[in-house]
Amino acid sequence: MYMDRETLRKLELLNQLRLTEEQKHGVLRFFEERAADEALLDAVDTAEVKPMVHVMPIMTVVREDIVSQPFSREDLQREAPETDEGYWCVPRVVE
Amino acid sequence: MRYETVIGLEVHIGLSTNSKVFCSCSAESYGAEPNVHVCPACCGMPGMLPVVNRRMVDFGMKAGMMLNCHINRVTTFDKKSYYYPDLPASYQTTQWFAPIAVNGFMEIETSSGKKRVRIKQIHMEEDAGKLVHDIREDTTHIDFNRSSVPLIEIVSQPDLSSAEEVEAYLDRLNILLRFAKVSECEMAHGTMRCDVNLSVRPEGSDKLGVRTEMKNMNSIEAIKRAIEYETARHIDAIENGAEVLIQETRRWDDLTGKSYAMRDKETAGDYRYFPDPNVMPVVIDDAWYNSVKDSLPEFPEVKKKRYIDELGLSDYDADQLVRSIALCECFESAYSVCSSAKDAVNWMTSEVMSELNARDMTYDMLSLNGEALGRLILLVSDGEVGRANGRKILSAMFDDGNIDPKTYAEQNDMIVSHDTDLIEQTVRTIVASNQKAVADYKNGKEKALMSLFGQCMRELKGNCDPQTLKTILTEYIASL
Repeated sequence: MYMDRETLRKLELLNQLRLTEEQKHGVLRFFEERAADEALLDAVDTAEVKPMVHVMPIMTVVREDIVSQPFSREDLQREAPETDEGYWCVPRVVE
Repeated sequence: MRYETVIGLEVHIGLSTNSKVFCSCSAESYGAEPNVHVCPACCGMPGMLPVVNRRMVDFGMKAGMMLNCHINRVTTFDKKSYYYPDLPASYQTTQWFAPIAVNGFMEIETSSGKKRVRIKQIHMEEDAGKLVHDIREDTTHIDFNRSSVPLIEIVSQPDLSSAEEVEAYLDRLNILLRFAKVSECEMAHGTMRCDVNLSVRPEGSDKLGVRTEMKNMNSIEAIKRAIEYETARHIDAIENGAEVLIQETRRWDDLTGKSYAMRDKETAGDYRYFPDPNVMPVVIDDAWYNSVKDSLPEFPEVKKKRYIDELGLSDYDADQLVRSIALCECFESAYSVCSSAKDAVNWMTSEVMSELNARDMTYDMLSLNGEALGRLILLVSDGEVGRANGRKILSAMFDDGNIDPKTYAEQNDMIVSHDTDLIEQTVRTIVASNQKAVADYKNGKEKALMSLFGQCMRELKGNCDPQTLKTILTEYIASL
């Protein structure tokens, strides 16, 4: 794990956050400490360990490809702030 | 200096499932009323949990096998974050860390010969909703019918180098996936969409140039034009410094024939991929894997060779059939009944294809009962029904898949008459009222005989053996 001021600036932008200088310092220190913790794991020999894909030894269930439509449009749009001709409406987004 | 274009493709394929990826809403979004195939899950409402559609995994595996990929027997789903109104959950469920298929290849053929194009990976994912901007000026309207419709994205390595190769790649991909019945692959319906990653470098260089990604091409022709335009733009920038090339996503405008900057190219970090905790790993055991493997179709070129070697079809006729699995299946069923590959292919490439064209149907839309077609071919080849009436029966069979050709012919007075008295009587009547044509024929005008023949055949409603009619007609005229 690696965190520097540039990465933090990018994450702020992506997450639409505004961190104070003190908060930024705290985040950087936090990641620095975690990096030190992770470095401890380097002592473990994992050469023969198969990478895991999930923390739990379970798999998903699958369903058959059968159509059902238990909800109506009216049900789903009842709480919508604005609808028009069956569409949901949002403030115009410019492409 | 000479340059070479380096192209990699990302092709999105809409899968032919009945229901969506993670919910049981209908996956049919094309042409439907807005928001009629929606539920809390595909509208991204909080707390909804996804349940994987087994057939989507079948199709992902099938596509991977058709493209010679390694199938990941433990495949996982991940969240790809982006914030836009067409994606109500603010993330797309896709595959990043363990996609369904990796490391494949596909052979293409162009005027320069054969080429192997490497497939980097195939991943399964959900489609986004559709935004409509032109209903009202102040709002964007959203239709979630398409939200969570299953897709696969097929990512090639940058092994393509021209518009011709890209066309060959897409054409081959289209045929293979339609053969496997994974997708209809219709660009016009949005079930095949292609993004082009392109860069240009001096010929012989092993260093890649600045790469741009182009979107919004809706046809093969548009893709070819976009590649030619973008290649020229890159070369102009390199040689003349017309502009500074940057890694970005560009939108193709087919009306102006130009590409326009859309946004800076995102990197994986921008999407903050992480394993989707709501979807557990999909584990494909041997039984599942083998059932999909066993369902793979015979590859088009294998089928073509068999048609030529074993059934004696011409190269041209075999080529015509292997454009579509539906044509092949219909042909093979018809042949199994009529036992004449030549008759069966003639009917397929003439009458059946004409009927499809007349109805503005693609080859894959053919749902004709092949065995019934075989019985129709026998009726015509045995002389029980005339060819013209055979065509009429075929048309009726397109309208109604339950029609039995013989029953239909009997009910509609289409069975060829072997009653020579009736034929002789008809010939006498037609000849009596067409004395000029008779005189013309006797004076050497062969066409006049054809006119008389045609009138007799019409009078007999086509239900007459042509050779018998011709013999009776010529003999009768000679006797006058």
